[in-house]
Amino acid sequence: MKHLDCFHCAEPVLTGTQFTTFINNEEQVMCCPGCQAVSAAIIDAGLTNYYKYRTEPGSKQNALVPEELSSFSAFDLPEVQQDFVHQSSNISSVSLSIDGITCAACAWLIEHKLKHVNGIVKIQVNTTTERALVSWQENTIQLSKILNHISAIGYQAAPYQVDEQEIKSKNNSRQFLLKLGLAGFATMQVMMFALALYAGYFTDLEVQYRDYFRWVSLIFAAPVVFYSAQPFYFSAIRSIFSGRLNMDVSVSIAILGAYIASCIATINENGEVYFESVSMFTFFLLLGRYFEQNARQKASVSSSNLHKLIPLTAHRVTENVTKEIPAKSLKIGDVILVKPGEVVSADGVITQGMSSINEAMLTGEQLPVSKGDRCEVYAGTINIEQPIHVQVTAVGQDQLVAEIIRLQESASNNKPKVALYVDSISNYFTWTILFVAVLTYVVWKIYWPEDAFWVTLSVLVATCPCALALATPTAVTCATGIFTRIGVIVRKPGVFEKLPKIQHVVFDKTGTLTCGELEINSAELFSAMNKQEALAIAAALEMSSLHPIARAFDSYRDHQISAHSTQSHIGLGLSGSVLGTHYKIGSAKFVNLTDSDDHAIYLHDTKHLIAKFILSDSIRSDAAKTVKTLLAQGNRVSIASGDTSTHVDEVADKIGITEVNKGLSPGDKLALIQQYQSQSNVAMFGDGINDAPVLAGANLSIAMGSGAAVTKSSADLILLGDQLSRFTDAVKVAKLTEKIIKQNLCWALGYNLFIIPLAVTGHVLPYVAALGMSASSLIVVGNSLRLLKVRL
Amino acid sequence: MSIIYVLIPIAMLFVLIAIGIFFWAVKSEQFDDLDRQSVSILFDDETQASKVSKDQQSTDSSKP
Repeated sequence: MKHLDCFHCAEPVLTGTQFTTFINNEEQVMCCPGCQAVSAAIIDAGLTNYYKYRTEPGSKQNALVPEELSSFSAFDLPEVQQDFVHQSSNISSVSLSIDGITCAACAWLIEHKLKHVNGIVKIQVNTTTERALVSWQENTIQLSKILNHISAIGYQAAPYQVDEQEIKSKNNSRQFLLKLGLAGFATMQVMMFALALYAGYFTDLEVQYRDYFRWVSLIFAAPVVFYSAQPFYFSAIRSIFSGRLNMDVSVSIAILGAYIASCIATINENGEVYFESVSMFTFFLLLGRYFEQNARQKASVSSSNLHKLIPLTAHRVTENVTKEIPAKSLKIGDVILVKPGEVVSADGVITQGMSSINEAMLTGEQLPVSKGDRCEVYAGTINIEQPIHVQVTAVGQDQLVAEIIRLQESASNNKPKVALYVDSISNYFTWTILFVAVLTYVVWKIYWPEDAFWVTLSVLVATCPCALALATPTAVTCATGIFTRIGVIVRKPGVFEKLPKIQHVVFDKTGTLTCGELEINSAELFSAMNKQEALAIAAALEMSSLHPIARAFDSYRDHQISAHSTQSHIGLGLSGSVLGTHYKIGSAKFVNLTDSDDHAIYLHDTKHLIAKFILSDSIRSDAAKTVKTLLAQGNRVSIASGDTSTHVDEVADKIGITEVNKGLSPGDKLALIQQYQSQSNVAMFGDGINDAPVLAGANLSIAMGSGAAVTKSSADLILLGDQLSRFTDAVKVAKLTEKIIKQNLCWALGYNLFIIPLAVTGHVLPYVAALGMSASSLIVVGNSLRLLKVRL
Repeated sequence: MSIIYVLIPIAMLFVLIAIGIFFWAVKSEQFDDLDRQSVSILFDDETQASKVSKDQQSTDSSKP
């Protein structure tokens, strides 16, 4: 059979030509009703150009359930809106984070779809941050309608509150760009005149032209010194107040010293000018800082985009009347109704009904837990099967989620501080330079007072720590670039010092070594039915369920077969009739068998057992290879899992890990990591919210791109593509980076040590100082650029 | 050679204009989303979009 891919999402089509859309005079095949509905909506809106210009396929669509669409109505409540909607006269505006944006064509599609909707004033979509800014007229259209329009073309939008931290970092980044751009423009000009002045040494340049060029350079260098270089001055002042001198102190002294000296030389019409060195040096340093800042901002945006963990609204039940209210107005003792598929909005105990609750966001385990009367449920967990009434026992900061976040914060404050090389070096270096300069001035003042000022300045300029200041940032910038290219995001500074020192890697099981999704491992048949038929019947029955087990059967669906009168039996399984026969599917207990296999699902008709399906959490394809590489590099590798079942040992066995710790609570994990830390540097992999405290406690923490938001915000590194093998690549790059930083520092220190005695004794000719300064910086930059050529 | 007394100030003026444009571009968020701006020239064609939709409607109606 010819293999077809869905025209919209490029996933394989398993349903034949059942779903098609007429696009550009051709019938295009779709994989599911969801993709069909979305592509039809796009074509109907006259937005065919989307398919013409997109560079990435769209995301797979699930058929939109009417209930899901109506859930947007919660966003129309004024109490809910007041948190994130800004109003001025009749116009409201909101920031939306949008799921499913894959390329620039998506932004175009959303903008054009909404532009023509009555009542929308302005819409602007940003593909980098996956966000949209929408303004609309309050009395013409409601927010829920706008969200409906966006979801009709296949994107999930949700309002979010921009946090202060993010606004600050965005402003910062823009300020950096302005300063960098200005420094760039000015440097180009100053260099041009510097070239003329250098040429003047060797040919006859009349003094009047020389002075003219100097004055022009002075004017161009002024904005660089007084505007672009500001971040260095502020950092220097802060470090002086904290009593520990950093590199920015000597950078600031060099910039200001060289500029002032050059101004004096220009005004007095004798001496030397260093305007070009000052501008170029500032530009290079800013460039490094700008890239660093940008990478960090990108990481913070991508993790804060994830939807909120706790829902905004709750259904409060008072005397059998259910009313939708904002979750934050809930009080202890209120009773709320949680429907199947909904997220629990506050911690509480079940007072009525029983159901299975998916607590994956707390425990990391995908399999739901059955809960009945008086059982505790937690905010953020998902109700799977039946409606339940919950009496609220904790609100706001007292809820378990808030508790976990606090635990994580306190653990990250206790993190062992790894001293940065440059920080400690620069402290001594700066003190030494200042001491030498003062000594030089005093000695020269006593013996040759007329030269004292100029010699001291030449000491400051010649020993200007350009190369030293550039040594780390340029190498780190190049390495960050490679990390971004391979899909590893650096969240915190200092990663490049920590990565090469890692000796022990600890993995959480679910979601890191495994994908966190169940799949059918094997099927055992007990009747005449063939495997495909049995799977299709099972899939039809499971279709009505939201249970993670049901998702494992999704890919075996046959659209010709459907189930009737399906019933779910909490914690046991499902029953229903398919093609006139009544079936039961579920655990051993459900079909009256005595089998203790936790991961087996049985299909049973009224009389016989038909099939046994073994489910397992699928292991990541590159997990074994990564572990092998880590072991080969001399690391210790172990598992720390909250899971108690034998599945942990199976996974460990398959991947080749011998050290297994299972059944650990978040607190136990933290204790285990601390015990390991007493012997070696520990790197921890995790993905669930329960891993957040451990990640904060480890020397280096790595979160998976698909993991929970809190986990990602506490991690040092994020693996975007969820490919574990990228970690070993990252270690390789970090080791090389460390080597290059050391080379750079050796060179820079060597140069400075060589030039200081010459400068102190007044033997450094002005152009030699300028040349040495530029050459030492360029050698450092060139050496760092070697990093970009690394083969992975 | 004394012409440079005139030409250099003119060059400085150009640089000032360039810096002004750069500042305006940064402040009007031109650099916030580099992926989108680089391809937006392909899309922004209001008339073509509506024409395509008309074509689409006519072919749809001619469809049996």
